[in-house]
Amino acid sequence: MLVLAVGSLPVRRLPFHREVSAMLIVQVIVNWLLLGSLYAAVALGFSLVWGIMNIVNLAHGAFILVGAYTAYWTFTQLHIDPFLGLPLTMLLLFCLGWVVQYVAINRVIRAPFLVTFLLTFGLDLLIADVVQLLFTSDRRSINTAYSGFGLTLGTLHIPFDRLLAALIAVLLTAALSLFLQRTRTGNAILATGMDRDAARLMGIRIDRIYALTFGLGAALAGAAGAMLVELYPFDPSQGGVFTLRAFVIVVLGGLGTPWGALAGGLVFGLAETVVPLLPGIGPGYDDAIAFALMVLVLIFRPRGILGKAFYA
Amino acid sequence: MFGSWHKPSTSSTAATTEPGAEQQTAQPKPGTRWPWSLLTGLIILALAALIPLSGDAATLHTWTLILMFAVLAQSWNFLGGFTGYASFGNVFFFGVGAYSTGLLILSGRPFWLGVLAGAVVAGLLAFLLGLPVLRLRGHYFAIATLGIAEATRELVAIRNLGGSGGEVELPLPALSDTTFYFLFWLLALACFLLTAYLARSKPGYALIAIRESEETAEAMGIPTYWYKIGAFVLSAVPTALAGGLYAYWSTGFDPPTVFDVGISVEMVLLTVLGGAGTLLGPLISAILFELLSFQFQISGSAFHNSLLGLTIAMVTIFIPQGLVGLVQEFLRPLAPGMSRRQLLVEGVRRVRRVIAANGV
Repeated sequence: MLVLAVGSLPVRRLPFHREVSAMLIVQVIVNWLLLGSLYAAVALGFSLVWGIMNIVNLAHGAFILVGAYTAYWTFTQLHIDPFLGLPLTMLLLFCLGWVVQYVAINRVIRAPFLVTFLLTFGLDLLIADVVQLLFTSDRRSINTAYSGFGLTLGTLHIPFDRLLAALIAVLLTAALSLFLQRTRTGNAILATGMDRDAARLMGIRIDRIYALTFGLGAALAGAAGAMLVELYPFDPSQGGVFTLRAFVIVVLGGLGTPWGALAGGLVFGLAETVVPLLPGIGPGYDDAIAFALMVLVLIFRPRGILGKAFYA
Repeated sequence: MFGSWHKPSTSSTAATTEPGAEQQTAQPKPGTRWPWSLLTGLIILALAALIPLSGDAATLHTWTLILMFAVLAQSWNFLGGFTGYASFGNVFFFGVGAYSTGLLILSGRPFWLGVLAGAVVAGLLAFLLGLPVLRLRGHYFAIATLGIAEATRELVAIRNLGGSGGEVELPLPALSDTTFYFLFWLLALACFLLTAYLARSKPGYALIAIRESEETAEAMGIPTYWYKIGAFVLSAVPTALAGGLYAYWSTGFDPPTVFDVGISVEMVLLTVLGGAGTLLGPLISAILFELLSFQFQISGSAFHNSLLGLTIAMVTIFIPQGLVGLVQEFLRPLAPGMSRRQLLVEGVRRVRRVIAANGV
């Protein structure tokens, strides 16, 4: 059975044959789209928080961890399917994010960006350590009844759980975009992102908007974590990896819109699925390629692929 | 960026401070208390030189690491503190220094040659990388440098530089631990004197001008681009020297230790906790913070990271302008004839104003 190539995560890679068949190319494209969409979910909340509040949230990976372990806990203890339990996970993470922003980050929001950088780094240490104390540093994974099943068309194989995760990721992107564009609260978030002081003069309670935005960012991170733990084994040391990846994805896609996260996720997925299959490169360079790509994008197009000036 | 730190806040919160409150004057610029800062720093370093007298190997080990972090934080300060360009990838130069030294020792050369070669290579790399990267600002500069360090870590591991997985095993050093301690001490002293020079010289003022407003600095005739590159090289060389010394001292290392993002973050953390762009800040906070960190590690190992995280969060919320800034706030002259009670109220008010100035 073909197993998806997923970067540095411990899953077997696609075997590379010299005579690349058409089916294999299709399989690689499918793998790329599935992984890229999942990465969009990883970066979505990070992009929102950065775009609206100009905070590079280093605790993003910790939120992903909390989401993953909430899903793991609800699955093993309450026997709720991780995908069905997604709203529950997101609600919990929303509350966590809301409190963190309201109690801590709101107090340094006007400080130079280094201060929020450090504060979120401290929160990351704290949250990841608490998760580790609660769940130990063992690797955990979820095996549902449908794990390993999927659509098979000839040699093409699409696992159900990955397909579902990718669909949910795209759905979340669309939902966030619609929420920001179409609702009053969403417009208030956008307005606060464009001009904090003008928004305040229009009667927007920016402390609440910030708490809401950060809560949404945390909820989206939680959703990504819940989907990741469904697909890959997980342990508490992995939070930082996902913060870094969210970083790269957001830079690649640009800060402008939620769709930027999707674009960035797809480009990042490209570096991880397709590039290792090119002759002469081989596996293992995925992060190096992703980071090199990021530095190049930063230098030649600092706004990213879809980036605009504001989160609009 | 850093500019807002030193300028009187124009935010609406500043406008709401009651009329009786003392007018918010500009924070003392680094350099106004220069002779006192210089003296304090030299006394601290002179006291640090007495540590080997204790004869305790564990204490010596701890303080060697403290001095190493003092070197790293102070050299980060050249670019991050003075110029306002926050690099999150300075560990790259640490790793370059470590690998240059390690590889040259493995090929049979003396260790000092390796350390010097590492410094030269790091300086050159800083120059070449600075050419494109220093065109970026703010978050983007931070991320680009982070990306360079991360990509290098992975490349070194994959290319099996020095050994499989990039692991380098060195022979036991011919130098004693005390010698290593004094080498790090000398490096820390050199960095401190360089900082003192920058705080009181034309090149240093040029760097501060870039931090406050790059466009204005350019308009005043400062070649900002080349000054930034110069500051980048300046922060790379001592970092690489420390990396080289660390490599020989530790006798073995691998990419995850010498290209650890955590070291980059610690450089930033120490500088910001102490006070970015100040003379004493990085030195003092390196000592205080590392001692605290070691204490956490020894006492409650299970809660080590939680305590560290909580400390960082508390410090960034309550003294975001750094320890030196806090002390300066308290040393600012008070109106004469104040009662004790008024003094207390005034002190509390000053701290609360600093906190409020950063809030929503």
